Amino acid sequence: MTALVSLDGVSLGYGGRPILEHVSLVVERGEFAALLGPNGAGKTTLFRGILGLIPLLGGRIEYGFNRRATPPGYVPQKESLDPIFPLTGYEVVLMGAAARVPPLWPVGRHRRQLATECLVRVGLTEAAEQPFWALSGGQKQRVLIARALAVEPQLLLLDEPTAGVDPGAEAAIIDTIARLNRDEGLTVIIVSHHLRLVRAVVRSVIWVEAGEAVKGTAAEMLSTERLVDAFGVAGGRPS
Amino acid sequence: MSTLSEMLSSDFLLRNALIGSVVVGLVCPLVGVYFVLRRMIFLGVALPQLSAAGVACAFLLKSLVGVHQHGEAAERALALVGSLGFAFVGLLILAALERQGRETLEARIGIAYAFAAAASILFVSADPYGEAEMTHLIRGDIVTTTGANLRLLVGVLGVVALALLALRKELLLVSFDRDMAIVLGKRVALWDTLLYLLIGVTISFGVMTAGPLVTFGFLVVPPLTARLITRHMLTFSLVAAAFGAFTGFTGFYIAYRFDLPLGPTDVVLAIVLLALVATTRETTRIARARRHRH
Repeated sequence: MTALVSLDGVSLGYGGRPILEHVSLVVERGEFAALLGPNGAGKTTLFRGILGLIPLLGGRIEYGFNRRATPPGYVPQKESLDPIFPLTGYEVVLMGAAARVPPLWPVGRHRRQLATECLVRVGLTEAAEQPFWALSGGQKQRVLIARALAVEPQLLLLDEPTAGVDPGAEAAIIDTIARLNRDEGLTVIIVSHHLRLVRAVVRSVIWVEAGEAVKGTAAEMLSTERLVDAFGVAGGRPS
Repeated sequence: MSTLSEMLSSDFLLRNALIGSVVVGLVCPLVGVYFVLRRMIFLGVALPQLSAAGVACAFLLKSLVGVHQHGEAAERALALVGSLGFAFVGLLILAALERQGRETLEARIGIAYAFAAAASILFVSADPYGEAEMTHLIRGDIVTTTGANLRLLVGVLGVVALALLALRKELLLVSFDRDMAIVLGKRVALWDTLLYLLIGVTISFGVMTAGPLVTFGFLVVPPLTARLITRHMLTFSLVAAAFGAFTGFTGFYIAYRFDLPLGPTDVVLAIVLLALVATTRETTRIARARRHRH
């Protein structure tokens, strides 16, 4: 296994005030890692730091791929996108497919075909011509996964992809992500609150708590003692 | 019908004004689409007002240095510099405040509007010739559009329209999902600045040609109308532009036929069109729901 993302003494925060300090960990190529921890512990901060959305206060992050040539696939929470935009599911996916097309260049047939294929990969061909805002929560989330795949990434980062989704759709989304990791070897980092679903599929966990982030296997990191310590429950969905 | 034939004839006296009205109606909604999508509609009020304040400032400076007898072209050029200057500086300050997260968007735009409105009045009151010039501007002196002004307007707004269409995938991505754009390595601040530049140029030329009221109306109302009946981004922009051009032409016809001021006629017509489309859409939706129930 080779390192795909390496954090070395990384400090992250907002307005110069650190929330996480001295984080050092490695995510290997082909790994499926979950970013877990109590609310407000800094999961999103670490996630945004890895994506390059917030500047580092210290340390460095190295990527085992060319970030400009193959940027990471990013799946935001669906609520972060404004429903006012008149876009179909296909048009949302096309944004990812067109990511590498230079300004002023038209999006060619190959890229359009890629967008269609990505919708097929997440099992959502019927949503192609539906307005994005009219799709169910689960369908929207899968469209956003298809958009991330259309970037042709080596690393897929998902921010709470099962938030606000009904239980049937939650399982379908996690299954889709697990399949992409298992069958296509895509490296996945997922932020989630849904321990029960996530612990069944992830190999490793990055546990974020009290300004620190520690990585270990799912079995080590999701021990009953740790969960009781963090949430007062031994699993399931913490508040 | 004879009025329409007269308007369409090649020797129509107000032909430049008619074409100018249609061009402003066509291009302002292409920019306005981003105001609606970025939920910055009130920026559409504040920026034309800032642009108008820039014109008033330019006229005041002209009076202060004691120059009153310039040609019409020089006067327009001066007004354009003031208009563009205020619109750009206003946009850059608003963008800088946005990046720093100071106050809410509404508060920033509200302050910009209040400043622009107050500054316009102060500049006009300090300028002995200002009142007449600003009255023309506020009403929109599109009927005085000369051939040279029209060529400049068509050229500049044509470039704006082409840029908006050619760069729509980048402008859409930056507007729809800023984080995704950053992750993909897009220079978000650069794209924002380019969009603001296109907005500033369109508003300045719109205000100089048709006045702030009409510019605001064309920026906002046709996109809101098109939003009701389109579900693709490209058709949204094109239908908005078509509604704007239709309003520009029909408004001109009504104003000419019934001897009404053009600006307010355009704005009222655009809003009537919005109400008609909204009512038709709602009626169709209710009828469809009833059919499904039976």
